[in-house]
Amino acid sequence: MAQSMFILYEHSSGYALFRVKEFEDVGLLQPQVEASVTDLSLFNSLVKLAAFSPFKSGTNALDNMNSVSEGLVHEDLRLFLETSVPKSTKKEKVIVGVGDSKLGAAIVEELGISCQHTGVVPEIIRGVRCHFPNLVKGLTEQSAAKAQLGLGHSYSRAKVKFNVNRVDNMIIQSISLLDQLDKNINTFSMRIREWYSYHFPELVKIVPDNYTYARVTQYIKNRKELTEDKLEGLEEIVMDSAKAKAISDAAKSSMGMDISPIDLINIELFTSKVISLANYRKGLAEYLGSKMHTVAPNLSTLIGEQVGARLIAHAGSLTNLAKYPASTVQILGAEKALFRALKTRGNTPKYGLIFHSTFIGRAGTQNKGRISRYLANKCSIASRIDCFADIPTSVFGEHLRQQVEDRLKFYETGEAPQKNVDVMHKATQEASVVQAKISKKEKKKRKKEKRKLDETGDASTTAGDTTAEMEDINGEPPKKKKKKKKNKENGDISMDVTADTTMETTAEGDELDTSGKKKKKKKKNRETLEMSMDVSANATMETTGEGEDLELSAKKKKKKKRMN
Amino acid sequence: MGRPGFSPRGGGGDRGGFRGRGGGGFGGRGGDRGGFRGGRGGDRGGFRGGRGGFRGGDRGGGFRGGDRGGRGGRGFGRGGRGGMRGGKKVVVEPHRHEGVFISRGKEDALVTLNMVPGESVYGEKRISVEDGEKKIEYRAWNPFRSKLAAAILGGVDKIHIKPGCKVLYLGAASGTTVSHVSDIVGPEGLVYAVEFSHRSGRDLINVAKKRTNIIPIIEDARHPHKYRMLVGMVDTVFADVAQPDQARIVAINAHHFLKNGGHVVISIKANCIDSTAAPEAVFAEEVNKLKAEKIKPQEQLTLEPYERDHAVVVGCYRPPAKKTG
Repeated sequence: MAQSMFILYEHSSGYALFRVKEFEDVGLLQPQVEASVTDLSLFNSLVKLAAFSPFKSGTNALDNMNSVSEGLVHEDLRLFLETSVPKSTKKEKVIVGVGDSKLGAAIVEELGISCQHTGVVPEIIRGVRCHFPNLVKGLTEQSAAKAQLGLGHSYSRAKVKFNVNRVDNMIIQSISLLDQLDKNINTFSMRIREWYSYHFPELVKIVPDNYTYARVTQYIKNRKELTEDKLEGLEEIVMDSAKAKAISDAAKSSMGMDISPIDLINIELFTSKVISLANYRKGLAEYLGSKMHTVAPNLSTLIGEQVGARLIAHAGSLTNLAKYPASTVQILGAEKALFRALKTRGNTPKYGLIFHSTFIGRAGTQNKGRISRYLANKCSIASRIDCFADIPTSVFGEHLRQQVEDRLKFYETGEAPQKNVDVMHKATQEASVVQAKISKKEKKKRKKEKRKLDETGDASTTAGDTTAEMEDINGEPPKKKKKKKKNKENGDISMDVTADTTMETTAEGDELDTSGKKKKKKKKNRETLEMSMDVSANATMETTGEGEDLELSAKKKKKKKRMN
Repeated sequence: MGRPGFSPRGGGGDRGGFRGRGGGGFGGRGGDRGGFRGGRGGDRGGFRGGRGGFRGGDRGGGFRGGDRGGRGGRGFGRGGRGGMRGGKKVVVEPHRHEGVFISRGKEDALVTLNMVPGESVYGEKRISVEDGEKKIEYRAWNPFRSKLAAAILGGVDKIHIKPGCKVLYLGAASGTTVSHVSDIVGPEGLVYAVEFSHRSGRDLINVAKKRTNIIPIIEDARHPHKYRMLVGMVDTVFADVAQPDQARIVAINAHHFLKNGGHVVISIKANCIDSTAAPEAVFAEEVNKLKAEKIKPQEQLTLEPYERDHAVVVGCYRPPAKKTG
């Protein structure tokens, strides 16, 4: 059977298909190809341009580029291949050489054209790349470079713009800022102490805490004006009547020098800045905590928000942290010690950042290394759950935390902890319950939104009808608004109905998965068109109110998506 | 400096330069670059990163990320204010390597012809020289911040980057060295600058905006097929990726994009490949890996005193067979 070979070459200006002559000879003699690719005239006799389809625009090129780099068959590429690659016949088998195995597999799957990416193909592609401007008419070296430049910029810009670790970055920045603030507030407070101590040196001894000291200085101002009636306010700040008394006594018999009002004003200004900074730090810590609880609930329940955030910051992102082995998590932050130990063949460090977890401090000296190892194991599990779970809950974190506690107890008393299998089994069960609740809530919320879009009467019609109607609605936005208004009146009654049906559908465990998947899909497709489809899917669900239909409608949705 | 030798030129005093380059980024923490992250490689998911000072972004990004310590990193060509401002005393003469120049003033400095007169990329000094009527501007090239400059000052025989060249630059970081390479290749040439980190990629794109001969590619150099649409055949591959598998990275990129008889210039940081072995052994092993990939090593030199335990290896990809007889 004869074979004819084509080479698909993706250039930034368009797709090109080359026909390779004398394929069999070429396949046999690889070194010959190697020699012939360098020489244009030789290469010209080897390959011939079969078809070329330029990209229509910059955005079109970027679209295609994204597909190519992901190994997907773009619509344009499909059309191009369908029109320009001849069908395999019994006499002649057509093979297309591609540059990427993934793309090859995709082409085989979607178009049924057999592909090859090994052997002689890379060599020919090298040759094509080398002589491309000479092989395609009307394309010069300069214009090829222009196309590359334009596409390179747009591709890279899109890459930078679309950052997967967006939420993690906020955590990383805020934990770094938190550390910075701690440092700065401390140095600033030292400055206030030095400064104010010219006037009232005894205060430092009485109020050792930085923040309270700053507040006290702001309150007292000139120590000579500290009278009895100010004592109450002072007591409020230091929260100790004895201390307040001691301050007022010390103020009377202080050895500090007098201070001019203008100096005092300057001290006060700075003090108020430091106090506001300290307050800001508190707010930031809260923000970080809430962020951590949404992004990495298990990790933060296990070792606390701050240590968890530090781990994420050190790894670069939650995904990176999840990819680390537990041994790396254990010594994260102790790199210097580790490499010193590796170089000198000494003892490697027992813990890095996770030392700041309370568990390590509570363990005995001998057990510190053990508990650190154990904790690191649990941390890496927790981070993986956080990173890859669809519906994040903190159930696993709580169980993992309990496991570490038990392990600590075991080291102290010898009381055997629960078996890991049992704990994990329990945790998965609990988690599935919690996840079901969450997904139900989300669904309700979504339905509420949907309801507003959809008229109550429409819900009873079939799926096909609703999509058709929805398209109508999309075409005429003002109509939609009207419906919304109407809906608000009927809202309460319809809400109840939907709540009941969803209860039924999600009651069983098996259906949980499908609903989870569905949710994900929904998240992805927030476009209005897709929205309408979701509504249609929901409509069928409501009418039948059974689990099986749920799956069915999900499938339908999939199909529709493909059609789109 | 002798070619393959490991001359101990960088004694105690010269080390200062090394640190100065890393530090100064943010609170002097930059000095620890190339610690764990640099060493582990895989843990960063991409390349580069351990470089800059203050960490805090996505891998290496940090505050100034790959900017290699930022402005603090000077310590070169600071012959007093306006020491290299040009004018009367400074004479610029061409270097042995085409496209590179030396300015002879109070202090000698490596410079390149500025493609975008009036702008400096990363805060480097500019020297303008009047040549008859028109003014020509050069940019100082700091060997403590650029391994290519260090290699040139170290006396590398050939850099294989000259005007009109097409260069694939792996590990472009913020585009400091890339800007000089773009100066060298000039408007006729092209630089494909590949960088994985988004943070430093942002800076790279900004550099590329002003220089039309740089094509920025924010992608993992481990997967050249992902950016195969953007890159044509090149004359030279320059790699500064500091990854444990960098020989492999260079090789697959060469298979894709480097023409027969083209050259590779690789900067190797011994610590990033194996922090426990002796640097010389690491270099030798990397050279062997290159040989296995049809890259014939031509020369090797260390970057002392500018960098510690670094080497630059120059090789030829699929060298043309010598005709016998």
